[in-house]
Amino acid sequence: MPPKRQRKIGRWILFGSMMVVAVIMLYPFWIMIITSLKSESQFLSGGGFSWLSWSTLTSVIPIGQEVLSSTIVCSSSILIILCVGLPAGFAFSKLRFRMSTVVFLVIVSAMMVPLQAILMPEFVNVTKLGLTGGYFGAILVYAALGTPFSVFLFSTYFRGVPDELIEAGIVDGLGYFGVTWRLIVPIAVPAIATVTVLQFIQIWDDLLVGLLFIQNTSERPITVGLAVLSAGRTTSIPALMAGSIVSAVPAMVVYLGFQRYLVKGLTMGIDR
Amino acid sequence: MAEITFDGVTKIFGDDIRAVDELSLHVDDGEFMVLVGPSGCGKTTALRMLAGLEDITSGSLSIGGTVVNNVLPKDRDVAMVFQNYALYPHMTVAQNMGFALKIRGQSKAEVAKKVGEAAAILRLTEYLDRRPKALSGGQRQRVAMGRAIVRSPQAFLMDEPLSNLDAQLRVEMRLEIARIQRLLGVATVYVTHDQIEAMTMGDRVAVMRGGRLQQCDTPQDLYDHPRNEFVAGFMGSPPMNLLRVGLEANADGIALVLGSQRLDVPTSYCSSHDLPTVDGPGVVFGIRPEDVEVLDASSSDSIMTRVERREALGAEILVHLSLVDAEGDNAVIVNDSGAFVARPTRLVAKMGPRSGVAVGDQIQVRLNREHFHFFDADSGLSLRRNQ
Amino acid sequence: MSATIPTTATPTFTPRVRRMTLKRRRQLAGVVFALPAIALVVGFIGIPIGQAIYYSFTQWNGLTSTWIGTSTWTQAFHNTNLWTALRNNGLLLLSVPFALAIPLCIAVLLHQRVAGWRIFRSIYFLPTAISWVVLGLVAERFFAYQGTLNSIIHALGFSHVSTNMLGYESEALIALGITFVFTMIGTNTMLFLTGLATLDPSLEEAARIDGAGRWRIFRSITLPHLRRFIQLAFVMTVIALFSALFSLIFVMTGGGPGYATTTMEFLIYETGFNQGDFGTAALYGLILFVITGIVGVVQLRLIGSNE
Repeated sequence: MPPKRQRKIGRWILFGSMMVVAVIMLYPFWIMIITSLKSESQFLSGGGFSWLSWSTLTSVIPIGQEVLSSTIVCSSSILIILCVGLPAGFAFSKLRFRMSTVVFLVIVSAMMVPLQAILMPEFVNVTKLGLTGGYFGAILVYAALGTPFSVFLFSTYFRGVPDELIEAGIVDGLGYFGVTWRLIVPIAVPAIATVTVLQFIQIWDDLLVGLLFIQNTSERPITVGLAVLSAGRTTSIPALMAGSIVSAVPAMVVYLGFQRYLVKGLTMGIDR
Repeated sequence: MAEITFDGVTKIFGDDIRAVDELSLHVDDGEFMVLVGPSGCGKTTALRMLAGLEDITSGSLSIGGTVVNNVLPKDRDVAMVFQNYALYPHMTVAQNMGFALKIRGQSKAEVAKKVGEAAAILRLTEYLDRRPKALSGGQRQRVAMGRAIVRSPQAFLMDEPLSNLDAQLRVEMRLEIARIQRLLGVATVYVTHDQIEAMTMGDRVAVMRGGRLQQCDTPQDLYDHPRNEFVAGFMGSPPMNLLRVGLEANADGIALVLGSQRLDVPTSYCSSHDLPTVDGPGVVFGIRPEDVEVLDASSSDSIMTRVERREALGAEILVHLSLVDAEGDNAVIVNDSGAFVARPTRLVAKMGPRSGVAVGDQIQVRLNREHFHFFDADSGLSLRRNQ
Repeated sequence: MSATIPTTATPTFTPRVRRMTLKRRRQLAGVVFALPAIALVVGFIGIPIGQAIYYSFTQWNGLTSTWIGTSTWTQAFHNTNLWTALRNNGLLLLSVPFALAIPLCIAVLLHQRVAGWRIFRSIYFLPTAISWVVLGLVAERFFAYQGTLNSIIHALGFSHVSTNMLGYESEALIALGITFVFTMIGTNTMLFLTGLATLDPSLEEAARIDGAGRWRIFRSITLPHLRRFIQLAFVMTVIALFSALFSLIFVMTGGGPGYATTTMEFLIYETGFNQGDFGTAALYGLILFVITGIVGVVQLRLIGSNE
């Protein structure tokens, strides 16, 4: 076979395999969509097509409420993570103070602590502080869990900022707070986007914290709602699938919208 | 009055790194002072101490007559141009230039007026709405200068502002900066490692090395009367020829021992310089390349040399010569503690562009007797009296 | 040209001498800026670690604790559930090679830059954006008795074969493993793809000129370069195995049948909240912490300084 033809066949095989992989990766979506487009009876009996599960979705699952809860928890936590992480990242990378390296290492190593390891004391503490009624407890826990990564990312990012820039601001007349607010924050936009995207996906999709730290059933985030209903095993499966799609959409939208920042963020620790 | 005075200023990093060692220097109001020296000589550290970006370990620094050791940069009313320009990337040129004024609370109209004036001087008016990343290196450099000018400060501090520009732009900007400084009449401290910049731009030049001030004089004085071997070799390109030679007595007075040849030292030098004793440790003899004249034929005071290398620079030719003995061997000059170390010693001479010398030629050169320099063999200090 | 900017020659220059030097100001700013982060991390992560250590020695139900010393420890280590959970985690570790190899292959495929590869890349990463809860629900549908897997098997003609993977102990674990690998494909593929993108193409070209075949090139040039990325993916995958699996288990199997699919992270939840035994759960938490700590140290050794 002439080499050109060989290469062309090779290309087609390549394309074919990629299609196969794509089908596999998209399969869960397919299952979700197909299953949700049935009524419960249709689902149990095996066939049929119906919008019923979608139209009655809100009566089966308090979707609107749960999405709202997820949104509130997500945005509040991310706000805290950014407001705490950016200045800290700046401090550890540019504002050297005594023992800053040690403290930095401690904070970054906290990234490695899985929630389950400290779950029990955490739960008891938050309950004792009276924060489990309402969102605040969960928000603080999410914020604390997301801060080490945020600090790490910001400090890595700021290390690439030339010292001269900060010094120019100082000679021009700014104090360090002014430098941070007027000079650092505007140029930190890519890092802010990266942290936001990664943490959004993390928090929106999380189960454990929402399950334990938000006691009011009316304030449940969507992932908890779905999980609890599924464990009950009495819920209409199509409705559950519909709810899953609703839950999946925001995270996917955020991901697709900020793809380029995601790649940068994942590898920021590696190149250095 | 914005004169600047360093008085015994010292900066020690860590436990023992003396970046600046007892620097005492005075800059008059409106003067253009250049700090020059090789990397690590402390010039940038001195500038940063002046800006307030580094603490002063000991000594005192005054601006306008007031001691400013503990004054914050923003209160010193100095403006700085950084080596990499440090422009605020998210602001336009106009915003960059107006920033310092804005945060001091000046009105928008005031700021716009001053920015406009500075932009006119620097020919930046059409770029006022651009971001730094849309500018060329030369334009960015001018914005950096504009940022400083707009503030009408007590002093300008410049940290190697031209080192990131290509050669042609550098020549152009040298003139620009000098012109603007003269126009505004503000005291300026300019740091560079390029001695050509120092020579052409400074009212006075301070040469530094290893944290210590070597000499501070006008460019011409530095060139004609360097105070030590280092300054002699640093200023001027190509550098001054420095040969360590012995001294010998002869019928007319003193002569330099150049291998098997002898070079008479005019008697005037014996009174103007503290020459060491004959047959002693010797002396370091300096002669600039332009003072080495190539002759067509030998004369009474010429020396025999051989051409080792030839560099044609277009406007002139540099020849690297080695001193030869009568037999044509390379001369032995350096005498290290009794043992003769055979080292071909080079003299660099400047010649006109159309001279027809070739490598290997033996030629006669005459050294200009008016421009001999003598330095102590151990300390490197100039032996000239009454400095 | 006349000077259009007047040099404000102030007759007397009297700057304010403040009490703090610039260096001190910088340090103060540094501390103040870092304080909230420190407080958050210490308060919500540091202190609980200490508490976990303390409470692991007690009989604790969340409200009252009675010190019973090391008997919690000895009791725990005799508890078969702990060993089952550890065994499950260990077995699931076998899925890690798949969770690395498959994304590697996919990344290599993507790296060939077939037409539309960017779209493929987005598609492959899409499941990562989805909650593990949702993926677990879908997986549950897939593996269930009346689920999709059986539909496929029947459609292929094996109508007499039916699986009920989630109903059988060993098979449930396998189902869990498969789902886990699926969820990790997205992140790891992205990681490896970035790694491949940082590989200097001229190295590959030089090797090709030297006569190396594709497999040779892959082995001697591509893989060594990807070493750091593979190590990072390994660590991330193992950590996910020990913490993120919770959602999958909760939704797919509830830890069952029995304790067949209960891993450490689920055991902690189960012991603490279903059984009310906070002390033992805290202890399990510590064990989990030690395991992830070991992985972390190993990571630092392999990859080198993270800074």
